[in-house]
Amino acid sequence: MRARRIPANFAERMLGGPVLWTGLVGLTAFALGPFVWMLLTSLKNRQELYATPLEYLPRHVTFENYVEAWTSPLTPFSRFFLNSLWVCSVTMVATAVVSVLAGYAIARFRFAGRDALLLIFLATQMFPSVLLIAPLLTQWRALGLIDTYQALIYSNFSFTVPFTVWMMVGYFSSIPRELEESAMIDGCSQFGALCRVVLPLAAPGIAATAIFAFVVSWSELLFAISFTTQTNMRTLSAGLLYMVGQYEVQWGPLSAGVIMSTVPVAVLFTFLQRHLIHGLTAGAVKG
Amino acid sequence: MNEHWSLSRRKFLHTLAGAGVIAAADLAWWDAPFIAPRKAWGAEPVRFQFSVPEPTRIALVTSLVQRFNQSQKDFEVSVEFVPQAQARQKLISAISAGSPPDLCQVWDNWLGQFQGMGALEDLTARVKSWNHQQDVQPTAWQTVTIGKEIVSLPLSVTLDAIFYRTDRLKDYGLKEPTPDWTWDDFLSLAEGFTKADKNQYGYGMRGAGTWAVLYPSEFAYANGAEVLKEGKVVINSKEGVDALAWYMDLALKHRVTPPSAPTDGFVEIVEGFGRGITNMYQHNSGSVGQQKKNVGVQNFATLPVPIGPAKKRASFYFSETLTAFKAARNKEGAWRFMSYMLEDEPSMMYCKTLGLLPARKSILDQPDFAKDPALSGFVNSFPFTIVSPYLAYPGWGGKLDSDGVPLIQEAMVGKISPKECLDKFADVLTKNMA
Amino acid sequence: MSTVPAALGSRRVRPLLSWRTRRLLNGYAYLVPAAVCLLGTVVVPIGKAIQLSLYNDVLYKPQDYHFVGLANYQHLAQDPVFWLTLWNSFVWVFGSVVLQFAAGFAAALLLHQAFLGRAVVRTVALLPWIIPGVVVGLIWEWLYQPNYGVINDLLVKAGWMHERVAWLSSPDLAMAAVVFANVWRGIPFFAIMLLAGLQAIPGELYEAARIDGAGVVDRFWHVTLPLLRPIIVVATATRIIWTFNYADLIFVMTSGGPANATQITSTYTLLQAYSNLDFGYAAALSVVLLLVMLAFTAAYLRVTHGVEETG
Repeated sequence: MRARRIPANFAERMLGGPVLWTGLVGLTAFALGPFVWMLLTSLKNRQELYATPLEYLPRHVTFENYVEAWTSPLTPFSRFFLNSLWVCSVTMVATAVVSVLAGYAIARFRFAGRDALLLIFLATQMFPSVLLIAPLLTQWRALGLIDTYQALIYSNFSFTVPFTVWMMVGYFSSIPRELEESAMIDGCSQFGALCRVVLPLAAPGIAATAIFAFVVSWSELLFAISFTTQTNMRTLSAGLLYMVGQYEVQWGPLSAGVIMSTVPVAVLFTFLQRHLIHGLTAGAVKG
Repeated sequence: MNEHWSLSRRKFLHTLAGAGVIAAADLAWWDAPFIAPRKAWGAEPVRFQFSVPEPTRIALVTSLVQRFNQSQKDFEVSVEFVPQAQARQKLISAISAGSPPDLCQVWDNWLGQFQGMGALEDLTARVKSWNHQQDVQPTAWQTVTIGKEIVSLPLSVTLDAIFYRTDRLKDYGLKEPTPDWTWDDFLSLAEGFTKADKNQYGYGMRGAGTWAVLYPSEFAYANGAEVLKEGKVVINSKEGVDALAWYMDLALKHRVTPPSAPTDGFVEIVEGFGRGITNMYQHNSGSVGQQKKNVGVQNFATLPVPIGPAKKRASFYFSETLTAFKAARNKEGAWRFMSYMLEDEPSMMYCKTLGLLPARKSILDQPDFAKDPALSGFVNSFPFTIVSPYLAYPGWGGKLDSDGVPLIQEAMVGKISPKECLDKFADVLTKNMA
Repeated sequence: MSTVPAALGSRRVRPLLSWRTRRLLNGYAYLVPAAVCLLGTVVVPIGKAIQLSLYNDVLYKPQDYHFVGLANYQHLAQDPVFWLTLWNSFVWVFGSVVLQFAAGFAAALLLHQAFLGRAVVRTVALLPWIIPGVVVGLIWEWLYQPNYGVINDLLVKAGWMHERVAWLSSPDLAMAAVVFANVWRGIPFFAIMLLAGLQAIPGELYEAARIDGAGVVDRFWHVTLPLLRPIIVVATATRIIWTFNYADLIFVMTSGGPANATQITSTYTLLQAYSNLDFGYAAALSVVLLLVMLAFTAAYLRVTHGVEETG
């Protein structure tokens, strides 16, 4: 953490004080608003949900929606949760490894076809994933991977890898080459320079892309439904849709499900986000 | 340079190690992912896809499947629940990939396209030797017959009627409508039900989804119009245009519809009535169960659609079917399960729990259906119901969604005139008669 | 280049391959894992789709399946709905991304400061991203509901509105309404990505600039922005491409309505594929969208000098 500096002038004082706080309040309210509504909804019973005019606070707080969602054998949220956790963690780790390698290579090494390759990575994102379903389904079925975690993980690669490679290229590019070069002049091997200089500086970027790979696969829906048939292999996102019925949306259980699927990721993120703080730069650039 | 060499080698080894760790960890979970549907008792299991899984239906279908599995030991039925919005997509992808489920619950308006894809199993021979064949309503058989082939069994049937609030009727001192009410009665009732200051509207008009086109079509029939006459598309006849103009005036002139009508789909019109925003809406019997819970059993009733100026009316008949696929691996098992679902007790359980109407006459005549006031509008509509005319050509199904609905929406917001709307729509239909 | 200096004390190895080749292989070797991931899951299906677009493939008319060359593309060029969706796509993408970027950048700057409870606020800023797009669509559709939605209720109660507005049902407002929901969903992306970038800027650079007499705005303009440029370019390019293809939100909230007011090319593709079962046409639409995005990205990268390294 940087030491607090005394604001030098009016602009700095304004930005540090009222602007900061208004901005933060606005941001929090905006991001949190719909969630607060979801939370209130999840604590209401059916009569209160359907009351008009609109009631905000539940008169009788009830946890039946949560109990129903978590324990019901028809929609076993506990199982959905484990499935999501496993699939997304593996996706995150694998994607991070793959993208750091590829990103570093593209950012640092100049080789033929580099620009074209970048564009190809990006181009694979430009295709609607809906049309990928049929060919992928054939593939996974041929390999016997329906109703397995592997199918979901590998399918997740189709959208996490291009985006994470692209992001890592960005992060590595923003680190001046001089840092490695000066480290090497000081007697470091290139690999040592990578480990000691570049990776720590890029750590926030790596953490950010890893987090996003996790979150993006957490909310992924289409593949989860297409490549699994059994209820106990479904992920959390697919499970949420079980609350959308033929003629009505079951708002009570659905909001409970939404809250249940966001809270764990939020908690995880609170612990991981300290990695977004950059590490050491002491002695990185001299003079 | 050595650094590069050792660098790339180390990185390579790291990657391998990483991949190995992941693979090993994955292996530990193998027993869960690799459980394929167990081959119970020898024969190939029957895969049954059911869409629209919400807790009531999941419980119901699961228990029915379990009872079937316990009743015989030759094979097992395993049911897969797919959320409704994705069900059609998943089915189509599976069919294209050559691996459809053995059995699926589908709506009859999907059948034309599937038959065109050559995906459906011909059940005509089996049906002819089925003991309940005569008991199923002829109109129901029509919905599952394409050309000369019977391709599915109708699990439940439904048609459209008008729901209305009986308690508010009394509160506002309005005249109780009779089953033979006319368009004028309908309009005055809708106007009486509209209290904009209380945020209540007379008629929850539907603007989104296939049925946004079908409801005004039903009204058109009441005015003497038709969709097809002697092989030609005539929905844009004078009677059709007049009927659509009258229907759109409900929104544009009389303002008895809520402002959200142009994008209201089935969820919104059901919820709107359930929350007391609208006091009348048009729908099939499927939402009866919900309204009993939302509004209260004694606070609403149903009526057949009103009689039009041509002294006629029509309600389109639909069925929810159980369909078997040609590429299925266990067709005998699929048929046995299908016919089981139409036995007395399962059919009664299914239809009663969900508020749908059974396809078999003998079950329909039971008091649970015949004497329920919430279902009376539907039961009374059977005499004049017809199979949806839009099932005539497989090419029409998709066009209703892609072209018909936007046209209706444009008319609903007043962007185009009813005549323009129907002319364009007739054009689309004519082009896709194949 | 020079050979390895003896001072590094590494072993001398006679290289088998020339230095040039090895360098190339090094570079490519890093890319192998990524390439393998993509080949199986994306490249092959895209190839298949391109092939599909040259055929007349209507699923329920398999007897009509034959090679038609560019007929699907001709149909596309003459389809007025397609051009409308293309226009809508541009409005959708640029509206969403510009607003997400601006708000996300502001959020990143805010979250970069030191204050009590920073961890919590950062987590809160990530929340909109965690829910699946379909559910976000459902929630916002409920919020926008004219009769029992929270937004209208609050606005009317606060006295800012007298009539209940049908946000999603009015052809004029619908696009703005879905863009707003998309902005809500997309701000975390920029907030977190830019925050990570901000964190990587060494503090010494700010100090040096300060000592040189640069004020807050100057420091932002001359230190922050240039160093963030690669990340900004990359994040916005990714986001633009994702948003082009993002069908879930619109599909759930308006299904492209009313009257195609919010129909973008990717939802139109979905409609053609799964309602009309015209996979040939849907494939052609996707290919055209792919080309449009490729052209745009190439131009965008050129103009912003892409990911060339900063100082």
